Amino acid sequence: MQTKMSEQRLQDALAALPSEKSPQRDLWRGIELALENPGQAKNDAPVSEVSKNKAPVWLASAASFALVATLGWFGLQEKAGSDLSIQSAALVESLSQQQQNQVNAMLVRFEGQDPASDNWQEQMKELDDAATAIKVALEEDPANGALLQMLQHVYQQQIALIERVHAPKWQQI
Amino acid sequence: MTSSVIDASTTFQQAQEKGLIEAAKQGDKLAYRQLYESHVGRVYALCFRLTADKALAEDATQEVFIQLWRKLDNYSGQSKFSTWLHSVTSNVTVSYIRKQKGWWQKVFNIEDAGLHEDADAGSAGDIDLEAYILKLPERARMVFVLHAIEGFRHEEVASMLDMAVGSSKAQFHRAKQLLTEWMSDANENE
Repeated sequence: MQTKMSEQRLQDALAALPSEKSPQRDLWRGIELALENPGQAKNDAPVSEVSKNKAPVWLASAASFALVATLGWFGLQEKAGSDLSIQSAALVESLSQQQQNQVNAMLVRFEGQDPASDNWQEQMKELDDAATAIKVALEEDPANGALLQMLQHVYQQQIALIERVHAPKWQQI
Repeated sequence: MTSSVIDASTTFQQAQEKGLIEAAKQGDKLAYRQLYESHVGRVYALCFRLTADKALAEDATQEVFIQLWRKLDNYSGQSKFSTWLHSVTSNVTVSYIRKQKGWWQKVFNIEDAGLHEDADAGSAGDIDLEAYILKLPERARMVFVLHAIEGFRHEEVASMLDMAVGSSKAQFHRAKQLLTEWMSDANENE
């Protein structure tokens, strides 16, 4: 009896649920941007474009230095006002370009070497998706330093992943 | 008389929507925006109930409308547009949640928190089913929303959530049990 009453109350409450809800922010702007730039998220520069010289260790150091410098610069510019979103977009673009260069250089370096994991490219893709999601969030909120740090963190994870799966067997023990 | 006026109004709305869909298929973004305006409320409500998180639901809603633009050609007009849209919304949102959960766990090592203790369960005595749904564990919540609110069959829910039909039924039973329990508690506290 009690159960029947409870079920009936649940059915009544279900029937009374509103079929619509309003999002708190304007979602159309982001949708429109995505429709106008359908290929924006794709970043498939071929590896062969990168010089096939031995792995440029200096590139990693330079990229890390540039990251720290640009993040510091970003911190100083945080209250700069209306052109902040332009600066943020430029910074994100620069970080992403450096990351792509570094990844390409590492892939050339490890070419022909058997990776330790079969699904590492899948993991790379997931991290790529994460970076894309953060970049979209940064477009909405260019002054968000935490998002920028997250992007940096994701990029570091990608580098660490490539290194880990291609490390010599004796280092994997 | 009244019913024929309602019928005419419905037919007019359907014809208007059909026109907007055809225009959007041809690349008309203004028409697509009108479709968005008509449906965003229902799409967001479904995304919100599936994700139990406002920010995630907003992102998922955007993802739905971005993917919908690319999938519009697949809509043949055999079923109601809203029915088809809800099926697209459910599939896109479920895979969006999976993707988000995947990379958040990978990057920040966050475990499934289970029950959403922080959900606002409403004031005592006032049965706020919406808040209780948000409190449900993730799988039970998704099954409940898709089956009880959206009307998908357990076979469809199981396929969407990549689980056995029996699991879908068990999760639904668990959700119902928790909801009725919470509602009874609220009733006793009145």
